[in-house]
Amino acid sequence: MANRQDIKGNEAGDDQPQSGLPAWWLFFTWELSDLWIGGKALYLTLTYSIILGVLSFVLASNSELSLIPPKEMVFELLKMSIAIGGVISLIIGADSISGERERSTLEWLLLTPTSRRQLVVGKYLAAISPWPAAMVISIPFIKLLSQGDEVYVTAVLWGGIFGSLLALALTGSGMLVSFWCNSNKTSYFVSLGIYLLILVPTQLPGKAQTGATGKLLKIISPMEATYHFLEKTLVNNRTLDELVIFILAPALFAAIILTLLIGYAAPDLRLEPGRESKIRSYWGRLAGSLVITCLLFALGSSPTMAFQGEHPANSELQISIDKVYSIVNAGDAILFDTQVTNMGAGESPPLVLAMNIINLDSEGDVVDPEDWSPERTQYIESLKAGESVDLSWRVNAILKGDYMVYIVVIPEPDSQEGTSQPVASSGIHVTVMPFTRLNPGGVLPYVIGVPVILLAGILILFWYRRRANDSDVTQ
Amino acid sequence: MQQLDQKSIDEVLSEVPSPLPRILLAEDLRKSYGSRPALRGLSFSLQAGHILGFLGPNGAGKTTAIRILTTILKADSGNFVVGGINDEYPEKIRRLIGVLPESMGYPKQITGIDYLTFFGQLYGKKKIAARTNAMALLEEVGMQQRAKSPIGTYSRGMRQRLGIARAIVNDPVVMFLDEPTLGLDPRGQQELLEMIRRVARERNTGVILCSHHLAEIEGTCDDVVILNQGQVVASGPVIEVMRRARQNLTQGNALRIQVPPPSVAEAQHLLEMIPKVLKVTVTSEEAGWLLLELKKRRSETSSEANPINNTILEALIRAEIHVLSFGYEGGRLQDVFLQLTSEVTEWPTDKT
Repeated sequence: MANRQDIKGNEAGDDQPQSGLPAWWLFFTWELSDLWIGGKALYLTLTYSIILGVLSFVLASNSELSLIPPKEMVFELLKMSIAIGGVISLIIGADSISGERERSTLEWLLLTPTSRRQLVVGKYLAAISPWPAAMVISIPFIKLLSQGDEVYVTAVLWGGIFGSLLALALTGSGMLVSFWCNSNKTSYFVSLGIYLLILVPTQLPGKAQTGATGKLLKIISPMEATYHFLEKTLVNNRTLDELVIFILAPALFAAIILTLLIGYAAPDLRLEPGRESKIRSYWGRLAGSLVITCLLFALGSSPTMAFQGEHPANSELQISIDKVYSIVNAGDAILFDTQVTNMGAGESPPLVLAMNIINLDSEGDVVDPEDWSPERTQYIESLKAGESVDLSWRVNAILKGDYMVYIVVIPEPDSQEGTSQPVASSGIHVTVMPFTRLNPGGVLPYVIGVPVILLAGILILFWYRRRANDSDVTQ
Repeated sequence: MQQLDQKSIDEVLSEVPSPLPRILLAEDLRKSYGSRPALRGLSFSLQAGHILGFLGPNGAGKTTAIRILTTILKADSGNFVVGGINDEYPEKIRRLIGVLPESMGYPKQITGIDYLTFFGQLYGKKKIAARTNAMALLEEVGMQQRAKSPIGTYSRGMRQRLGIARAIVNDPVVMFLDEPTLGLDPRGQQELLEMIRRVARERNTGVILCSHHLAEIEGTCDDVVILNQGQVVASGPVIEVMRRARQNLTQGNALRIQVPPPSVAEAQHLLEMIPKVLKVTVTSEEAGWLLLELKKRRSETSSEANPINNTILEALIRAEIHVLSFGYEGGRLQDVFLQLTSEVTEWPTDKT
């Protein structure tokens, strides 16, 4: 009779010698090779380069759009780059697990003597690889459209950081969806649905973004926060201190998704996806939350009401400005100084100086100074009798046209219910000329060259594969 | 951790006396999907170098059993031990097993040798050693000529061979093969089964072979477990299971005889003349098969039936009719299988 010793070697078993390489690294290199040599990532980046090329060409050659200064063109390109990069990340992530299920290759991987987490980490690292490639592809286009402007470095830096955060989060989101889907079709559908929901805040009309909920959404929506940060940094020359809060949303988004993916979902990776009802309830809750957020946003958005009271005159303060007329190119900066003097007999209250810009071509439409200047207001504690103070201002000409720039001095009211009489300076008439340095012909080598190089790479890969196969068959 | 119960393990082990070590022991494995039971107490053991067939109709629980034993699924209850490692250590068990799943896909762009090298590395081999091992495995399964071809260019038979090579990349103590001959032509099936026998013999690897092809199990396996609706309805050495079943099945008193097709009519006429032969039916004129119904009392044992068998054979030989095949109807594994799996159990329905 056999006894228990026949089957009982040791309970824990002996660890086999390791190859020296961690399992996640092996999975990573395996997946990387499958993604790039298999062609999927190559096709997606080729499509990406074509879209960027077309957009660059349109920006450069279209007579209307070419009036946009370099900074705005760079911003538009970067926006598109991040949006398409996000879709690529999502697609790759959404295919990672459900695709293996669909192709019946997941069981092989689950049967290997490694932890599920190592498998997921390896696959995830490979899945985010298209984004760095996409960013590298976009660099020549950014360089080209920036026309030597210093915005090039800032765009690559912040575009790279924000794009990477979103790529990390969106790849992870796609993978999470993929965990619970049996087919790629479902996984793509759900992932793209989530992506559209993330994009919703960026597509809301301008007025809807002025309410408290709208402003909050700008901070908490990863995509909107990214666009807002990049626009203000690249186009409006805003400082990092003012905008640092907008990095929180994409960073938190990435952190939460990574925690969910590696910490929660990865150890539970199974051959069969979760139960259907579980999927419905999970995604139903997620979709419901997003819809409710959108509704709250819409309800909370309302145009801000400007106070339009009557103000008593204050002739004791004077403000002068050192420029009368200025002609600049779009994208150039206008620098000027103001001098505020207290002509009265006593000390003035604290003073607030605010910049205003009026578009003379559009029936006096107000231009949002936030878009034009990093410093819209300045503050003076108080001025003694006869005292003067000089202040410097900077305005970035964004769009062509005729504008009036002027400064208003607002004495601080002396009580909670009190008011004061603002004093306005004379205006500077600014004529912004269209930016015409860009030669559309110069875009074409990049527009055509980058996709052609990628295409050549794909063809060489095919040729190599075919040759290797033919030689192997004939052996 | 659920410890295996000492007494019940010894009981199971004592059922199959053999000097060979048990490399797999499963005890009372149970698994349900919702309210539907898929496996209802599977217990069996496997010896090194033996091939054990898993038989059962669709939905019998074969694939569930294999997925539990290969740690892909977790059993609701029950235990199993593979090569001395109990089921609490799935990663360690996966080091000891090789699997060829029923539905298996391959990355099409990767070459066969790269595929096996990758898995070799995952099992702890250095890259060069893994590649050398991969080449040796491809030679073992007769695929060395196509080692550097992308898997997408392989035929189904070649992929199955590659799958076998993948299953033995870690020199497993137990190999699980789920429908390995599915979709192969008869020659391909024969070659693959021969390869499986050779691998089991030369590597002293225990093999669990899941198949719908009863002749495949009958001709290849040493032991068999027949499952029906999640339950074991028969188990043991193939010969023993067939002998036990034959005792039950020959109560119908039927013989199957094969003669050369031109002699069918003559044999039929001759056999109908024998007093204890009730009826002779030609079941296949082209193949020369005849079915004989015999007069026999219920109390008569199969050993007592030998005189009539001898009479029939003697009559055919005297008439110079070649007997190509002679056996009890119901003595094949197919008959055992059909009988054991014919009863339908009512499942408890989910009222909710």
